[in-house]
Amino acid sequence: MPDEKKDASAEQNAENAAGRAAQAADDADQLTDDLDLEDLDLSVETAEERISPSETNVFDK
Amino acid sequence: MIQTAQPRPSGADDAAPAPSSLRVTLAFPPQGHWTQPHLAIPSLKAWLEARGFEDVEQMDLSVEAFDHFLTAESLMRARDRVAERSEELDGATLPLGRMRAWRAATESAASADALIERVDGAKALLRGKDVPDGAPSGFWNTDRYVRAARTLYHGLRLVSAAHFPSELTPHNFTMGYSNDSSDQVLAATLDEEQNPFIAFYRDEILPRLVVRRPRVLGLSVLYGSQLVPALTLGRLVKEALPDCHVTMGGGYLAYIGAKVMAAPGLARCFDSMVFHEGERPLEALCRAVERGDEDLSEIGSLAWWDRRSGEALGVRNLPAHPIKLDAAPPPSFDGLPFEKYFSPELVIPYDVNRGCYYGECTFCTLPTVIGPGYRTRSAETIANDVVHLRDAYGTTHFNFITDCMPPGMIKDLPDELIARDAGITWWADARIEPKAYTEEGAERLYESGCRKLLFGFESAVKRILKMMSKGQSLKSVRQVAENCAAADISVTFYAMVGFPTETRDEARETLRYIEENRDVVREVSLQTFHIDEVAKTYRQPDEFGIRILPADGDLSLYHDYEASSGMTQEEAAEMFEEMMSSFRQNLPLFGGDNIFYFMQKSHYFLHLARGATPDSFAAACAARTEVRESGAGLDDARLPAGAELVPVDLDFSYVRAVETLGHPLARAARPDFLTGRFVEAADRLAEEQLPPLERLDGGRVLVYAAHTAEFVELGRDGLRMVEALRRAGTVGALLTRLAARSDASPAGLERARAFFARLLALGLLESESAAALTEDARRALIAAEA
Repeated sequence: MPDEKKDASAEQNAENAAGRAAQAADDADQLTDDLDLEDLDLSVETAEERISPSETNVFDK
Repeated sequence: MIQTAQPRPSGADDAAPAPSSLRVTLAFPPQGHWTQPHLAIPSLKAWLEARGFEDVEQMDLSVEAFDHFLTAESLMRARDRVAERSEELDGATLPLGRMRAWRAATESAASADALIERVDGAKALLRGKDVPDGAPSGFWNTDRYVRAARTLYHGLRLVSAAHFPSELTPHNFTMGYSNDSSDQVLAATLDEEQNPFIAFYRDEILPRLVVRRPRVLGLSVLYGSQLVPALTLGRLVKEALPDCHVTMGGGYLAYIGAKVMAAPGLARCFDSMVFHEGERPLEALCRAVERGDEDLSEIGSLAWWDRRSGEALGVRNLPAHPIKLDAAPPPSFDGLPFEKYFSPELVIPYDVNRGCYYGECTFCTLPTVIGPGYRTRSAETIANDVVHLRDAYGTTHFNFITDCMPPGMIKDLPDELIARDAGITWWADARIEPKAYTEEGAERLYESGCRKLLFGFESAVKRILKMMSKGQSLKSVRQVAENCAAADISVTFYAMVGFPTETRDEARETLRYIEENRDVVREVSLQTFHIDEVAKTYRQPDEFGIRILPADGDLSLYHDYEASSGMTQEEAAEMFEEMMSSFRQNLPLFGGDNIFYFMQKSHYFLHLARGATPDSFAAACAARTEVRESGAGLDDARLPAGAELVPVDLDFSYVRAVETLGHPLARAARPDFLTGRFVEAADRLAEEQLPPLERLDGGRVLVYAAHTAEFVELGRDGLRMVEALRRAGTVGALLTRLAARSDASPAGLERARAFFARLLALGLLESESAAALTEDARRALIAAEA
């Protein structure tokens, strides 16, 4: 492929990527627009599985 | 049960063995751990073959069952069964009695499809078969390893949910039935709803046995978790193959065998039972079966059902003489399904001795299960056998099975292994012996391949150690651990909480001691104290200031007790939680999900065998935990490509349910096949004291993050925020957009940042810059292992 065509293609790709990023950011905005930032329930909880005596079985090592 | 009076002629079966073509099948029933073969049936197979038996088959049904249950097909069946069995909950609260089922159904709804899709890949990774030969397996990468291990654990939770209330884990198998009573045990062998092994045997195992038609089937029962599965198989085999003599043996039966033989209802599941060491009795039994003998009273150490009168009468013969261990053949692992163990490299168990040369510890009854006395192989024999096994099975990894090695052997064995150029790595249990584990001694052990030793430490309190008759000082403990650590041998301590009269302060002193020595102690295997009927604490309770409480069941082995001072059993259970929780904070291998290395018998050892040092491994674990929890690298954190989050709306808090079910009171209400205890009253007590869960207002979800195999409970807005992150790309980009909003406040933004930091800490997000921060420790580990 001639160099100028390569350049044009790279430029086009960059533009597309930038466009996609902008679109993604807009999408993200849309998703969060109606969230009340002051009243978000963003709690995250996990249950740490307790290691019971039977999981540290002396026979099982 | 009657005891026969005829003494067994000593050594009669040491005569030249007669060849035999009797078909013998030896099986290890579920459930035992899944990372390496167990030693019992390979030892028996080798003995029988050395004595002329030409057709001895062995089957590890435990690992076969795990392999069978952890398939897409089995998990699909389990998913559908859970869906059929789950019930609508319309009450305002969720009581303890229904919590376990609700948890199982909720987890299944979130995770089943992802597990079905990923189970094969997870199995392949733990077996090192996830890549073409020669390429580095994901097994050696902590993140990938942990995900795979967790996927398999969740897979078993799904299988368990389908057989609710049974629970099958890599470490245990329990049902809604108790091991304490023969009626319950027999009922458990017949309950197809709860007992997953009935269908497994009927569909997968019985057809093979029916084709083979063994004349003797030997079942090895080491653990309480195997009792019901072993009897289930015995029952099915006796129905399908009436001519097959079903015999059982193993450590667990050494404890409760006499009681089993006093329960004629169990005679439909087996024909005889071997007490203690199995080699001689099994050989004699096979010869008797071959001859067609109906009278088995001459076979030493055998208990059997005498059916000649038409009824099953339990008979227990006199003990046989133990074998000369040094003259016994090395175990034969031929025919075991090596490819099914959940480990990338085979680790071979080998018994260097039987019994305990010390034999004084007042809490310990382990040496009694193999029979009387202490016997050892010579260092020369061990080295010869190890070289033979290394060449026969193409592996250099060994787990020396021993209660502990005497000081002489600690010196002689390394010399022999080095002289034979064995080129192996190994790990073993050990006793604190300061004269043997010197600086030079430890170096010599390392040179011979020793990479990990597990010491019976038990307590840091002199008074308790004295009551235990441990015969060790804290000074020698530190010295031994230091010498081993300096030689790059990883040190594990066995520790005990709740020894009679032990106070909370004393338990905390032990905790403090271990944590102050964490530079040399890498792992702790913590146990709660319990009393079996063989223990000195049972026989002489006054010496320990306790009163033994009666146990009701006809198969009861363990007893509750009341102590004159110190912690109650319930308080000891709570102290166990406190200590374990502290270890998880303070020991690198126990931090976060690094704990999987501790929980999988040989996996940490395999890293050591590969070149990791205890220091480099602990540093890599610590760096991983620290960076995750610091929130470093948050700005470029993103959802990994292909990340899949499966949400399920929650009526009750999932996390509160898991916490409630993990409470010692809730646990006590479950049969524990390790201790065999099933306290009926505990059920009521737990129900009374653990409040039901209140119905949620809505909005909370349980999310199964399939890419990390993690369950996470999110608040109302969590999922939308995650989706926004997916679209924005990185956390930094999203936070920038949020900050640009006119209504953004520092507090609101901080909440969003904290939310993503938590997801990053849980491994749900990935961050290149965070990964770079652990790179040094990771590279050091990889370099060590290269």
